[in-house]
Formats: sequence, C-alpha cells, structure tokens
Amino acid sequence: MPKTYPLQLQVNTEPPRVMHIDLNSCFATVEQQARPLLRGRPLGVTNRKTKNACVVAASIEAKALGVKVGMPFSEAKMLAPDLILVETDPPKYHYVYQKLVRIMKSYSPDVTMKSIDEGIINFVGTGNVNKRGLEQIGFEIKDRLRDEVGSWMRCNVGIAPNRFLAKTAAGLHKPDGLDIIDHTNLRSTLSGLKLTDLTGIASRNEARLNAAGIYSPLQFLDAPSDLLRKRVFKSVCGEDWCSRLRGWEVDDFESAVRTVGRQYVLDEWQPTEEVLRARLSYLCETTAMKLRYKGLAARGVILYLMYANGDHWYERKIFGQPFFSNSDVLAKASLLFNRRPREDWVRMMSISCYNLVPSNMGQVSLLEEINRETWLTEAIDEINNQYGEFTITFATSLPAKSLVKQKIPFGSTRYFELLCNSS
Amino acid sequence: MENVTNINKDVSVVAYYFRNTGERLRCFPKRIEWEGRRVDFTETGLRHPTKKGQRMVHVFDMTDGNADYRIEFDAERLTWTLISIADTSYAQNLSLATAS
Repeated sequence: MPKTYPLQLQVNTEPPRVMHIDLNSCFATVEQQARPLLRGRPLGVTNRKTKNACVVAASIEAKALGVKVGMPFSEAKMLAPDLILVETDPPKYHYVYQKLVRIMKSYSPDVTMKSIDEGIINFVGTGNVNKRGLEQIGFEIKDRLRDEVGSWMRCNVGIAPNRFLAKTAAGLHKPDGLDIIDHTNLRSTLSGLKLTDLTGIASRNEARLNAAGIYSPLQFLDAPSDLLRKRVFKSVCGEDWCSRLRGWEVDDFESAVRTVGRQYVLDEWQPTEEVLRARLSYLCETTAMKLRYKGLAARGVILYLMYANGDHWYERKIFGQPFFSNSDVLAKASLLFNRRPREDWVRMMSISCYNLVPSNMGQVSLLEEINRETWLTEAIDEINNQYGEFTITFATSLPAKSLVKQKIPFGSTRYFELLCNSS
Repeated sequence: MENVTNINKDVSVVAYYFRNTGERLRCFPKRIEWEGRRVDFTETGLRHPTKKGQRMVHVFDMTDGNADYRIEFDAERLTWTLISIADTSYAQNLSLATAS
C-alpha cells in the first residue's frame, strides 16, 4: 500500500491528448529502407568510415547483438562480426524528416519536433476536427509512414496526457509499438519500469533519488513534492518532476539559442601550426554561417582546446560590437588562439559564439566600412547559396574543407536545412 | 567494412516504371545500360531530392537483388548518373573488371 501524503498533487485524469512519435534507430532504418540488401542485417551508421569511428545509430539487428550508440566501431565489430558500417547521408534523413513532419502536421497545427527522429503532436483543441480516437490516428500514422516513405519504416507511438508520459509510452514496445498511458494504467505501467528507464533520470539523478529512499518509479510517483524539491533535486525541478509523473504538462516550452559553435577532433596526431590554423579557419567559417542562418550576431567568443595529455585550456572574450561575418569570427578566434599554451599536441578544438543578439545586417550603417563588410558577406552568401556551400571560402580553409565535414547532429534540428545544403 | 564501388558515370535509363504515391504519379528507373552492361531493377529503396547549389538532383537507391545502386537524376541537365554500386560480389567483380 503506497504511503499517502495530504495535499498531494493529484494525477491528471483528463483524457490523453498528446502523441509522441519516435522513429526507431532512425538513420539505420532509413539506410535499410534505401538499401534493401541491408535489411535484416546488423548495420551501424557512422559519421566517418574509419576504424575508430563511433556508431551514431545502430539497426535493431545490431542492437540485439549488443551494439550501442556511441560505441567505437572496433568494439562493435567484436560484438557483431558481420556488422556493416555506412556513412551518414543527411539529405536522406532530411527527406524522411520532412515526410514525417508533413504527416504529423496533417493532424494538428501544434507539432513540435524534439529531434531529427522524434516529434510531438498536441491534439488539445482539435476535438472538432479529429473525431477519431488517438489510438486509431496512431495506427494510421504508422501506415502512412510505410506508404509514403517505404515499407521498412516503423515508428513507436506513445499517447498520454503530457509529453513526458507520451515519450515513456513510446519507449515501451520498440520497435513498432503503440501504447497509451493515462490515469487508469499509470501505476501499473510505472511498476514495470526502472528509474533509469524514465527520460531525464540517469545514474546521477538515480543516486540522488536512492539517497532519499526512492528506488522505483512507483516510489518516485508517490514521493511528495516537498521531498523532491527540498531533499532530492534541491530546486524547482523537484516540483516539475512531481507534476510530470502525475501527467501534468511542464515541458511545453522552447529553449532559446544561447551559443552557436563547432568542434572538431583533429585528424592528425601531431598537427602543425599550419594545420591547426586551417581547421580553425574552417570552423570559424561554419560557425559564422550558422550565426547568419539563425539571423543572429554574437558579441562573445570562446575557444576551447584539448591536448593529447588530457589537459584542456579555454579562453573567452566579449567584444564591444556584435559581429557575424566569417572574417570577424576568425579574427576574434585567432586573437584567443594566439594566447594558447603550447604545451602539447592539440587533440580537439572547439569554437563557440555567445552573447547572441538579433543581427542587424539589413540596417544600413553610417559607417561605410561596416556597410562594405555586410554587403560583401551578403554577396558571398548569395554565391554560395547559388553554386553550393564553400564555393567562395578562405584560402586557409581549403585544406580542411575535404576533411572536416558537416555531420549529422544529435538532438536539435536547428541547423538541419543548413547541413543539408552544405552536404 | 562494406564493399562500395564508386562509378560516377552517365548511364542510359532505357525503361521506366510508374507508381502512384498518393500525391502524384512518380517515375522510377527500371533498366539502365552503360558501357555494354545492363541492370534490371527489382525494387526501389528510397527516392529523395537534394540540392547541388541551386540544381535539384533526385537520388534513387535501387536494387537488382544482387547489389544496391545509387543513381542520380539531374533535373536541370536531364542526365542520369550511376554514382555507386554497393555490397555484393558483383561490385567486387565489376571493380576488378574496371581495373583490368
């Protein structure tokens, strides 16, 4: 019998109106769809086809053999000797992403894509249009995905009163499930899960919960808001978890872009000054492109370097005027780069712009020099849009252009269009 | 690692098939010929559009049951290009034949 607390937030008894759609092993499934001979075989998708590359997506067959996302290829090959490795192909995934968005938007205008392969349809307020039950719509979406993209495509559908429970429901029966969580089966569903099965609870949060005597999702559900806020999470997050688990919506917000950047693990073990500057120049160019793509300008730059001995160094600087052009980002990053300690070989470099403000590229300045810079940047962007990215580029970036490829990002779809244009 | 042979040569599509995809009637290559070779496709994996600069290119991933073929149709130049053949002994033999 669960311990009850007075004045505890009640479970949301509204009918479920949120649907979470998740394409399983998205990149691997799309590759198997595109290449029929790969179907039913263990497949790994990687950003670079090298021995030490890591698997960014594994097919269901590979996962069954123990291959996990993020695992180095050499390790994955030991678990699955027949593993086939293919390189990512962003335009292919973009096409499937667009198809999925189109299907989802045909049911409700309130669609949020959480990443390349998962999205949420909020059916609240669409009762007059969608007369059918959400379960029926869920099966229809599965069928449409198979008809409009390909017969190998499968997706999980989760239906619940809020986003968190809908995502939990979508993960219950992979790879082709449809599950509903509401107030009637909330306890029985949570009783079959571990704490780390819940999205947002990894080993650290699990340890925090364990320290407060919470060992299962059911105990987590029964825990009072005060306990979670004051003892477990020590912040408002505790109250959020209390609402989230009871089916109330707390995740319906969009976070703003705070930094824009790129990072790169060096392709040479002992990179010379010239190689480092070539890679830096390329990273600055792509960072500036991202900035302009989002209509932003930055005032700050952070440069982060990791050395072969495991040490790292970073420096940040705020500048007086916002900047957005390739040459400005490179000049400012170079300023920091010249101050770096030269103690060991650089293994990884990262450049980020922060303190972002809306770009005023459209506004003519009183200073002719600024106007010339803006017009030149606009002209270069126009030519690159017409003839392909990096048609006009820094001469110093040229050696890096063929090596540092724009790769598929985890999570956000903010730069997906830009990525597809440049791939 | 997978066995991929890059071809990157213009090919002739000598037979097409059509499929109603719900929105419109779409056309897919059925048979291609290049340098005296002929391939009959048995299945379409995926067709997806992509851009090269402002040029629209349609990429077709096809199979003949023995190998997977990547073919591109340039919508501006109206040309078909066989980009690569992947994953079979056929591709291996072809690369040997091309090398000799």
